[in-house]
Amino acid sequence: MLIKMLKNGLTRRKLLGATAVAVGSAATVSLLPKAAFAAGKVIKIGFLAPLTGPVSAWGKPGLDGCEIWADWINAAGGIKLADGNYMVEFVAYDNEYDPAKARTGATKLIREEGVSFVMMLGGDTWPGAQPVADKTGMLFSTLLPSDLAPDTTTLIAPTEVHPIYNVTGVEWLAENKPDLKTAVMCAQDDALGLPSVATYLAAFEAEGIEMLAEPLLFDPATTDFAPVVTKLLANNPQIFCLDTCYSDYVHPICEQLFQQGYKGQIISCTADFYEQMIEKTSVEFMEGFIFQFPDFDDPALNADFINFKDPNKFYEEYNKRHPGEWGAVSWEYASIMDLWKAAAEKAGSAEPADVLAAMKEGGKGQHAFGTADWWGKDLFGIDNALVGDWPVVVIEGGKARIKGFKSIPEWYAKHGDLLKKHMAAYGQMWDQRT
Amino acid sequence: MVELLAQTGLNAIYAASYMSLVAVGLVLIFGVMGVINFAHGELYMLGAYAVVGLYADFQMPFIFAIAVGLVFVGVVGLGMERALFRPLRDNPLGGLVASIGFLMVLQALAVMGFGVRMEHVPPVTQEVIVFSEKVRLAVPRLFVIIAAVVLLTALWVFLKKTRFGWALRASAQDPEAAALQGISINQTSRIAMFIGAGLAGIAGALTAPLVSVNPYMGHSVIITAFIVIIVGGIGSLEGAVIAAVAYAFIHTIVTTFWDGVIANIVGLSLMLAVLIVKPTGLFGATDRA
Repeated sequence: MLIKMLKNGLTRRKLLGATAVAVGSAATVSLLPKAAFAAGKVIKIGFLAPLTGPVSAWGKPGLDGCEIWADWINAAGGIKLADGNYMVEFVAYDNEYDPAKARTGATKLIREEGVSFVMMLGGDTWPGAQPVADKTGMLFSTLLPSDLAPDTTTLIAPTEVHPIYNVTGVEWLAENKPDLKTAVMCAQDDALGLPSVATYLAAFEAEGIEMLAEPLLFDPATTDFAPVVTKLLANNPQIFCLDTCYSDYVHPICEQLFQQGYKGQIISCTADFYEQMIEKTSVEFMEGFIFQFPDFDDPALNADFINFKDPNKFYEEYNKRHPGEWGAVSWEYASIMDLWKAAAEKAGSAEPADVLAAMKEGGKGQHAFGTADWWGKDLFGIDNALVGDWPVVVIEGGKARIKGFKSIPEWYAKHGDLLKKHMAAYGQMWDQRT
Repeated sequence: MVELLAQTGLNAIYAASYMSLVAVGLVLIFGVMGVINFAHGELYMLGAYAVVGLYADFQMPFIFAIAVGLVFVGVVGLGMERALFRPLRDNPLGGLVASIGFLMVLQALAVMGFGVRMEHVPPVTQEVIVFSEKVRLAVPRLFVIIAAVVLLTALWVFLKKTRFGWALRASAQDPEAAALQGISINQTSRIAMFIGAGLAGIAGALTAPLVSVNPYMGHSVIITAFIVIIVGGIGSLEGAVIAAVAYAFIHTIVTTFWDGVIANIVGLSLMLAVLIVKPTGLFGATDRA
């Protein structure tokens, strides 16, 4: 990335401005450029996610995808409600994956910006925003169904099924590489890592894959992963599971695996910017790397059952605007907007309660990867997760390719008790979370 | 088990190497100028971004990027000495506070210049020295180890055998007496700041291909550096090196055989124990004068 300040020129005004930003960074509101809709009606959608910091890879690319979605929708006439057409505008707030900032951001988006819907990454930030959601009745979405609980009545998880979708990767692995029978796992110790650990443990147990050691939960402040990798490789595993490590961890861990001579299977929830991982290791080392997030130029996404408009074109447009930035969430928030828009147009209203009712009517929804069920009462205490099929992605010849779609409800019907057992052991069931 | 211990030892030596560079730089600045530089972690970050800009973005040779990184960060250190620490020479607390403000400025500038995401730095080389199937040392890590040994040895020679080095040590020992002997405090402060900042910068530059480069990468480094210099003795360069090695080995071994969180607790407990038993640190003098 070229040095912007050399291109733009560093003036004293900018330097002082930067100082002011730095000093007030804790309370900085990230209001990204808004389209000037001087005339016509506008619906504002809140985007409350980490746009900076170590988790920004699961926030900022999503906002970038939403901007493309908004441009396409507005060009097609906007959202059609009972009282006319509305243009859509996203208002972003950078919560830096901090619950206190999430609370501030939620309040600002709802009370000051007047948004009709708030999209979040969730995880550690949801508890910060929940009191605001409860008080205002605003409809929120999260990428993490593990945030759901019986009292989160206005929180939905309509796109990402983290961490449950991780079972599909393990199921595919067991079917296609049945000789791999031992595994180790590492994860950062937080609300993203822990439920995913429980899920992978259940998935491995369901396939008869033995864990050679307890999952290693490393400090999120870790920068040198050599000791972590050395410790886990001492067990001689056939499978190395990266759980839902942030991309800031996946890259150095993979590099360490490469440098320490690991030649086994790697499975991970994400592999953001995997081209960079290949550059740091090799095409051969990354061959067969299993994860859960496709590139949207994948031909498999042109199937009839896919409910995402022009995925290949979306991917092309995204890469045109943000070269090299495509990541796991680049499409997800836009997919949530597809669902929200359809529900709002069905209800004829952007009111949260109306949209939620329309979205859940009939118990089914058009998830990006096919028709899915509103699901989750058994695991989360509420049926507010839209769960169906999820792709298994494998890197082959340096490119991520979908190898198949697996059904999460079918897996859960067979092995749900295992999942609940491990979730409870890690304190991740809805009734164990504070 | 032997291979595990050997690999752990190599991991620890690498960690000790870059930590020594950072800690010695911090001690040098405090020893001569009497100020705790909280922006030292961000100087490490600047060195890493020098490599991002020159090596990753402009495809300059890595060795050139490191050299420029050292000089660039050293010059930033000179700027800090002149603009922040010299005016507040009689107010160490003011210097500390000013350094905290400056670290925020440096982070903001890094965000403005490069964005907030992890930067990708291509590997310098993918060569690995293979001692056995499970005992390996990546050559980029070897570079860090060699650089640390060479630079710290050079610093030792500089401090022990050169007039500038004697002047630095005299200023650290007793600034007033040094001034009476005709030693320019401003000059020794500039030298200390250039070297101290340069050491942090080169540590960042060397480790840039090995870590996640981002504007906030200085946080964990400065915390560890403070633990090391407190244990080693604030003001003692030898103590900083010995403490860095000891801390790196303890932290790496505990991480490998237990986990990283326990390793952090052990490190902090070690610092606490030293503060209780010997508040000036293992090799610190009884007072700075």
